Amino acid sequence: MSKNLINAMADLNEDVVLEEVKALKAQNVPALDIIASLQEGMSIVGKRFEEKEYFLSELIMSAEIFNEASKLIGGAADGEAASRYGTFVMGTIYDDIHDIGKNIVTTVMGSNGFNVIDLGVDVPTEKYIDAIKEYKPKVIGISCLLTTAFDNIKECIQTIEKEGLRKDLKILIGGGPVDEATCRYVGADHVCKNAQETVEYSKKYMGV
Amino acid sequence: MPNQELFNTRVNRIMTAATLGKPDQIPVVLTADAFCAKHMGVKLADFIKDYNFGAEIMLKSFLDLGGVDGVQCLVPAAMEINNSWLSRYKLPGRELGDDELWQVNELEVMHPEDYDDVIKKGYNRFCNDIVIQRLGGTGAEMEPMLSAAPAAAQNAIEAGIVPFVGGVSTIPYETFCGGRTMAKFMQDLFKIPDKVQEAMDASMPDIIGDAKGMVAMAKPLSVWVGGWRTASQFLSRKLWERFVWPYFKMLTEAFIDEGVIPTLHLDADWERDLNYLLELPKGKFIFSPDGATDMYKAKEILDGHACFMGDVPPAMLALGTVDGVYNYSRKLISDFGPSGYILSQGCCIPPNAKVENVKAMIAAATGK
Ligand code: B12
Repeated sequence: MSKNLINAMADLNEDVVLEEVKALKAQNVPALDIIASLQEGMSIVGKRFEEKEYFLSELIMSAEIFNEASKLIGGAADGEAASRYGTFVMGTIYDDIHDIGKNIVTTVMGSNGFNVIDLGVDVPTEKYIDAIKEYKPKVIGISCLLTTAFDNIKECIQTIEKEGLRKDLKILIGGGPVDEATCRYVGADHVCKNAQETVEYSKKYMGV
Repeated sequence: MPNQELFNTRVNRIMTAATLGKPDQIPVVLTADAFCAKHMGVKLADFIKDYNFGAEIMLKSFLDLGGVDGVQCLVPAAMEINNSWLSRYKLPGRELGDDELWQVNELEVMHPEDYDDVIKKGYNRFCNDIVIQRLGGTGAEMEPMLSAAPAAAQNAIEAGIVPFVGGVSTIPYETFCGGRTMAKFMQDLFKIPDKVQEAMDASMPDIIGDAKGMVAMAKPLSVWVGGWRTASQFLSRKLWERFVWPYFKMLTEAFIDEGVIPTLHLDADWERDLNYLLELPKGKFIFSPDGATDMYKAKEILDGHACFMGDVPPAMLALGTVDGVYNYSRKLISDFGPSGYILSQGCCIPPNAKVENVKAMIAAATGK
């Protein structure tokens, strides 16, 4: 792993990250090794966030740098090649367009070895159903920031069940106002308070 | 005027608390608009179609609640959020169902090169151009709302209710963040910080000028200095110190200079940076968090420096019980009163608040 790259990623030093990625590529370092360094840097970002040294502003910037860097490697960081742990499908429930939290979760999951399918915002139930059928994920995530959309999550989860797709599937929910009581109300499996928790939970469930 | 005496008592009550004194009883000063429509059984589409009508409904609702000393808004605020965030919005009866709440629809209408435009043209012309050219507005959207305000204020006064907050202002961070979208704007703060700062500096003369004009015209007791996306929770201290606080302070002080007591309407969590508020003069502003900032931590820092207003959480008003709301409000009164405290909701009474919960909150102050 490249110490230089890890530190530059952790310190959000975009110019250095991009130069370093180019240099490593020129030295024929395998894409997966470069990604591993970026991922290592991202987990330091996650730790600093938990320790309140970093805030939303830094999380967003880290996601941006990570995405820019993975473009240089040819998008390998978010393709199946880099995904060691399987597929994670996620979107923001219909009637809700908040996507900052969702984007952070998808980026952090992507940079931690999951193959992420991002369904976007204002996602109707059918779209979740189609994605579950197509990608057969073990874990899906539903983001929701509006208390007025809790019933939509509930409906979505009930429909997933009715379609017989719930059996080996864990459904995570998250977003500002979502808590344990919401989780019970909508019938989800688990609430995650942040992206790091989502990684931990998914890894555990996927048996990593 | 039949309610003159009641009105005077209430002004006195609120202003005494606002300036850290001990009023005859804890004042109740509410913010609500869509809630009033629901409370009075009016569809939201009708509520905002005619601002004079909307204002009437709001006053009826406040009077029905009883014991409301003052209010922080007099006309429906559907447009206000749009303008200060350079965002498109969806309205009930237009893009939304007749009874759905209006919503900001955040889109990237401002681009990095636009900061130069702000610097060259000034803030007002820039914002107006954006509204007209990119948001498909005419620049006159706010007109019906603004022109309904004076009559609404007069009607409130005649009913004995104090129109306490008479305007809203905020800093360039909020506006640019809305125009750029939150994620893109935060990237700008890392990638082109000097440019963003220059545009913010260039914006302040217009913002301060408008603030003074508003005070001269409406002569309000208070105005909102709003902080929504500028909360400490969202950005690191380094960024906050550079892009939020200097402007927030400048704007707040400008209002204080004009003789009004600004209400710092602070959504989300501001705990980390509360000590900065000590730089503002004592007894000259109101600290009004939305339920997300820990009021007790804030008390440790700001006790005796600013009047506290709040913070019965909107979620509690919607989902809680009468007893729960009453007890929470009583506790606020005993912990933050009897001097320098105004009982209020956090942020805004949500449309789905239960009427009996709002009444329970008020009863905690009036004893009725
Ligand atoms: C930014 C923002 C907006 C932006 C959204 C921009 C965007 N592109 O996302 C705009 C201006 C568009 C907006 C609009 C509205 N908003 Co808004 N908004 C916010 C705000 C200030 C921040 C949200 C945010 O991004 N937080 C930062 C992210 C990182 O946090 P997060 O989303 O919670 O995500 C983290 C975790 O929760 C978790 N997570 C999130 N999702 C998931 C999912 C899974 C599966 C997992 C495992 C984890 C997880 O991981 C994330 C990273 O740590 C909040 C205030 C707040 N305190 O939350 C209000 C807030 C959510 N909005 C609110 C409201 C009411 C609205 C509007 C209805 C306002 C209006 N009348 O126009 C509209 C609704 C539009 C719509 N149809 O969705 C209310 C909701 C009240 C309620 N409880 O229902 C809030 C709470 C503000 C308030 N105090 O009133 N908003």
